[in-house]
Amino acid sequence: MARQQGWLALILALAIASAALVLNVPPPLGLDLQGGSQLTLQVMPSGAIKKVEKEQLEAVKEVLDRRINGLGVSEATLQTVGNDQLVLQLPGEQDPSRAAKVLGTTALLEFRAQKPGTDSEMQGLLKLKRQATAALVQTEIKESTDPAAADSAASDSAQVKIKAEELAKALEALGIAVPPGSSQTESLELLLSTVNQKIVALFEPSELTGKDLVGAGRQQQQAGSGWDVTLSFNREGGEKFAALTQNIAGTGRLLGIVLDGRSISEASVGPQFQAAGITGGAASITGNFTADESRDLEVQLKGGSLPLPVKVIEQRTIGATLGTENVRRSLVAALSGLVLVAVFMVVVYRLPGVVAVLALALYSLFNLAIYSLIPVTLTLPGIAGFILSIGMAVDANVLIFERVKEELRSGNTLIRSIDTGFSLAFSSIIDGHVTGLISCIALFALGTGLVKGFAVTLAIGLLLSLFTALTCSRTILRVLMSYAALRQPTYFLPATQLPAKAS
Amino acid sequence: MNVPEPRFRISRHRRTAWLGSGLAAVFSVIGLLVSWLNPGIHAPLKPGLDFTGGTQIQLERSCAAGGCSAISAPEIQRALASLTLPAEPGESSPNLGNASVQVLDQGQSLVLRVQDLNPGQASALVQEMQAIAGPLNPESISVDTIGPTLGQQLLKGSVVSLVVSFIGIAAFITFRYDGVFAFLALFALGHDVLITCGAFAWLGLIAGVEVDSLFAVSLITVAGYSVTDTVVVFDRIREQRTTLADLPLTEQVDVAVDATLTRSLYTSFTTLLPLLGLIFFGGASLFWFAVALTIGIAVGSWSSIGVAPTLLPVLAKSKV
Repeated sequence: MARQQGWLALILALAIASAALVLNVPPPLGLDLQGGSQLTLQVMPSGAIKKVEKEQLEAVKEVLDRRINGLGVSEATLQTVGNDQLVLQLPGEQDPSRAAKVLGTTALLEFRAQKPGTDSEMQGLLKLKRQATAALVQTEIKESTDPAAADSAASDSAQVKIKAEELAKALEALGIAVPPGSSQTESLELLLSTVNQKIVALFEPSELTGKDLVGAGRQQQQAGSGWDVTLSFNREGGEKFAALTQNIAGTGRLLGIVLDGRSISEASVGPQFQAAGITGGAASITGNFTADESRDLEVQLKGGSLPLPVKVIEQRTIGATLGTENVRRSLVAALSGLVLVAVFMVVVYRLPGVVAVLALALYSLFNLAIYSLIPVTLTLPGIAGFILSIGMAVDANVLIFERVKEELRSGNTLIRSIDTGFSLAFSSIIDGHVTGLISCIALFALGTGLVKGFAVTLAIGLLLSLFTALTCSRTILRVLMSYAALRQPTYFLPATQLPAKAS
Repeated sequence: MNVPEPRFRISRHRRTAWLGSGLAAVFSVIGLLVSWLNPGIHAPLKPGLDFTGGTQIQLERSCAAGGCSAISAPEIQRALASLTLPAEPGESSPNLGNASVQVLDQGQSLVLRVQDLNPGQASALVQEMQAIAGPLNPESISVDTIGPTLGQQLLKGSVVSLVVSFIGIAAFITFRYDGVFAFLALFALGHDVLITCGAFAWLGLIAGVEVDSLFAVSLITVAGYSVTDTVVVFDRIREQRTTLADLPLTEQVDVAVDATLTRSLYTSFTTLLPLLGLIFFGGASLFWFAVALTIGIAVGSWSSIGVAPTLLPVLAKSKV
């Protein structure tokens, strides 16, 4: 008896500790329950690297972590998954497009000098670039505004139309085949990207890159509404920059600032820098950025360039209301399931049924406590795993009580029936739980995020149900049996099923 | 020892049981084949967003008290076809002409399915939808994008975890039970998984229900439950072997099934109760998951009573 009381004390202590834990540290909710965005980034092999290794993934993560800090999104988390993926979670974020853009670009900044003797070609390309950009801006205005506003832009459209013929000519001259059925915007974009490639090709390979930066900032242009991005180099970078500018000063050759293989700015260096180049270790990019663009570029340059390119391969965004709705619905589902099971158990099994319900209540509490403790982030599939594990926990009790009933029917005493019931049911319970755990292990090892959540809660549930069915139910039942008033076989079985006392 | 006379003799009904299961299995195979031959599906089960890749956007319109203004799917499709979303450098702008559009809840919620968009394009599309079907409830928007390579990865992951967990379960059962028992437990497992898949093949053909990674999870769970159910009956047969050694195997099976019948039914019932809770109150995201589990667990309970034990005397005849 003392042993039972020891167990009872332990169970009570665990229950109180669990309740305190759950109330103070509620289990964290996944994005599908609180609303927010989740992006999965795939690190792509590039250049000499054919397969992404763990160290490269870590290097990418380091850069991205710095960029996230620069973005100033609170509570954002970035985790590596497997060997070549990263998962970014942005709780509460409804529109992850900016984060995706800032994190998803490589941001490799290069300073390159124009190759000698390419002046005329360069001038032609730059003129084309300016025209194409201007035309693109106009078409965008025309397409994005409603018909009323388009009328006011109609005066410009004549200019755009003329441009259409020139455009065709320019495209032909550059040897670009426009896919049939493309809109004017699409052909313009195609032209622009080809021109950009040609411009980049006219620069010499780079000697100075974003690696040599120590800082980046932004400032509004004194004339005009655009923004500039300012850069400061480390000592080595400052020297390289001075040498680079000294080389081309006064020659008419341009200094190209190339970001991810795209020329974003072409600057001339005046003859006054022939002596020593531009010294002081600072520079600015006049790229006519918008305020947002300049801020994003600043964040990217400060964070450094990505050693390997990344691509967003998965996006899951859930509105806050939907999240709350999911919590409410799964609470209702779990509770209604539990209540139905409880009613069923009490009706069918009488006193042991009540014990099973107590054990199940403890089981649910312990589950929540473990979620808080580990912690397990609760997601919808995770809750489904928990709800399903209730079934498994009940099954253990059903197996035991059916055995107890059988023993009673065959005329055993109450206490002996209970003991035999528990020991006979043991092997079936173990087999069932082990098979369940095997599935969980397979799911956890091979599954993806959502599936893992399910496997974790189901596995925790299975392990706990072994404990509650074999220990809690048994202890509570034994303690209750110490009261003579409760030692009635009719509390276990209808009197008609009991063997006659006389036999 | 006094052997209780079984109240219910499963062996007397075994031909009916086999016929029922056989028909269900044939019907399932036909469903899978028809689905495979269907030009619109081209797979035994209709693959969902998880496996095909793409973007799914769910929107809720905030309507005045009088209900939502009428809007039809073709109307939205036409509007989508004329949109141009910002293109990624070096790629053409995504084609929204073949978007699939569903209008649910009397026009209150919309589900769009398009090719996979990057986050910027998805936000732009939501903005455009404001103009087409607005005003929208900004807190009730959900966007899911699965890239095409990730879709293949998820499909592969699901199939691999299915196969590995089946092998794991098979290994455990072979370790715990001898040949025929293990074979029958796995046979019942195959039976249950096949019928669950068959049901979803037909659901896919008739109601357009798609399978996702959660469906794979439900199959693995069904497999676990199925084996547990069968094992409980076999455990009983094994336990009685010594006490009932004089009886023919058919009798032994009847006694064991009868003794475990209440447990099997009660357990399935108590597992189905929370699942019914999920079906009725759990919301759309877990609805088909709960349905798959309900079908699988019901079938699993059936096969542990009517299929696996009744086949035991037939298969063991040569050995006993």
